[in-house]
Amino acid sequence: MARTLAMFTDTSLCIGCRACQVACKQWNELGLEEPEWTGTYQNHAHFTDKTFRLVRFIEAPGAKPNGDLAWLLMSDVCKHCAQAGCLDACPTGAIYRTEYGTVNINQDVCNGCRYCVASCPFGVVSFNEQTGTAKKCTFCNDRIHNGLGPACAKACPTDSIQFGFRDELVAKANQRVEALKAMGFKDAQLYGADSNGFLGGLNAFFLLLAKPATYNLPENPQRPQRNVVVDSLFSIGSAILVSVGALLAFRERGKGGA
Amino acid sequence: MLKMPGWEMSIVWYFFLGGIAGGAYFTAAIADNVGSRRDQAVARVGYLLSLPLVAVCGVLLIADLGVPKRFMNMILHFKFWDPMSIGAWAVGIFGAFAFVSSVLSFTSSESMAQLRRRISLVGMLFGFFLAGYTGILLSNSAMPFWGDSRLMGALFLASGGSTGMAAVALIMFLTGRSVGEAWHKIEVADRYSMLVEMLVLALFLGLLGAAAQPITTGHFARLFWGGLVGAGLIVPLLLNLFGSRVRALGLVSAVLVLVGGFILRYVVVMSIQG
Repeated sequence: MARTLAMFTDTSLCIGCRACQVACKQWNELGLEEPEWTGTYQNHAHFTDKTFRLVRFIEAPGAKPNGDLAWLLMSDVCKHCAQAGCLDACPTGAIYRTEYGTVNINQDVCNGCRYCVASCPFGVVSFNEQTGTAKKCTFCNDRIHNGLGPACAKACPTDSIQFGFRDELVAKANQRVEALKAMGFKDAQLYGADSNGFLGGLNAFFLLLAKPATYNLPENPQRPQRNVVVDSLFSIGSAILVSVGALLAFRERGKGGA
Repeated sequence: MLKMPGWEMSIVWYFFLGGIAGGAYFTAAIADNVGSRRDQAVARVGYLLSLPLVAVCGVLLIADLGVPKRFMNMILHFKFWDPMSIGAWAVGIFGAFAFVSSVLSFTSSESMAQLRRRISLVGMLFGFFLAGYTGILLSNSAMPFWGDSRLMGALFLASGGSTGMAAVALIMFLTGRSVGEAWHKIEVADRYSMLVEMLVLALFLGLLGAAAQPITTGHFARLFWGGLVGAGLIVPLLLNLFGSRVRALGLVSAVLVLVGGFILRYVVVMSIQG
């Protein structure tokens, strides 16, 4: 496996221009959608089968260092989890991990069962009615295999989205958190940078200026498949109870059940 | 902000009919192996019911795919930890067992009947699987309520047992085989299954606590408490317990169990996607 690639989205640098969102649409030829009125500049409300990069506009009272209302901007994307729920759920092998550590959906193999949609802890994977397949950010798989960064990172005018080797980006991100804390952003924190943390770390990780919940992100997302063994054991217990009932009902009395 | 998979009525029907197919098969296998010669009516009805049902299940599953012609892609791949992957395999293997058992249920030779009993002992494991795995599939997702429930598979399995037995009883009634010992035995077996289902449902709700609110409160609460708990479990259990001398009450009981089994799948699948 090649050295793991990553995207680091530093939300403190985002100016909400949405160049990333447009660049993603153009490069990946995602097509037009009806706009949605969300009450803010944000459009669309959530990821869709045609929106893989989405700038979130969040009004957070009291989140500024001086206690004022903060207008938080965050360019959100598929997290390319090291332990990806969608990948583990995929029964066809359409969802795979590339040699760079990113997670991609092979559109020629996906048969549209939608278990990945139900297994993404971030609500990223979306079903496309036209193709009948699941869609999400490809980490610009075609571009990174040709020496280019993802279109969103390339288009970002403030370097809020950075592309590179994961270990180098994590080191840079840690320095950035220290600098922001020194400037008074006491809640500045990394989300998904720790490869010993939740989901084995995210290959698209973030610097946030407030708690994850403020950005509608789960505090501690878990691998959806973690309970398969326990659930199966309970089901076997249920099978034994039902069978004992049927055995009692059908056994031949006086012949010891033979 | 989570995304819903958009699994709707065809999946509800699949979960319901798959439960009956699995339940009818394992009931038939038990009746075939430990019952008397007269209980072979139960075994035959169970085997013959499971075959068309599993065929319908396959059609429902394939039709619900975004690209139905690629359904074979699930069979070209195997993940032992993935309910969707093993499930696709198990539906096919169960179908093969249902077919062989159905064919052998017409035999009059004792050695072939012996073979059928042996085969059904393996087939019943796939019957249990088909009845229960759909719950495990839901409980191993990132969705709220589904992913919080540790007993979804156990509950679906018990419901598969009770609905499978009720379906066998119903067919025996409709084909004029509701006289004598075999009918009584399937009624008793269904009674035990209903008791297991009530026990598992109580534990299911207890373990979930507030996470069960999508079905215990709000839009689906009336259907859940009235349709499943009341009309689908308590009433048929009372009819089964106290009406066993009147065959028509046994019929009503069986129909109510089937309706309750459908409501269970419906409220679980639709509540959080509504």
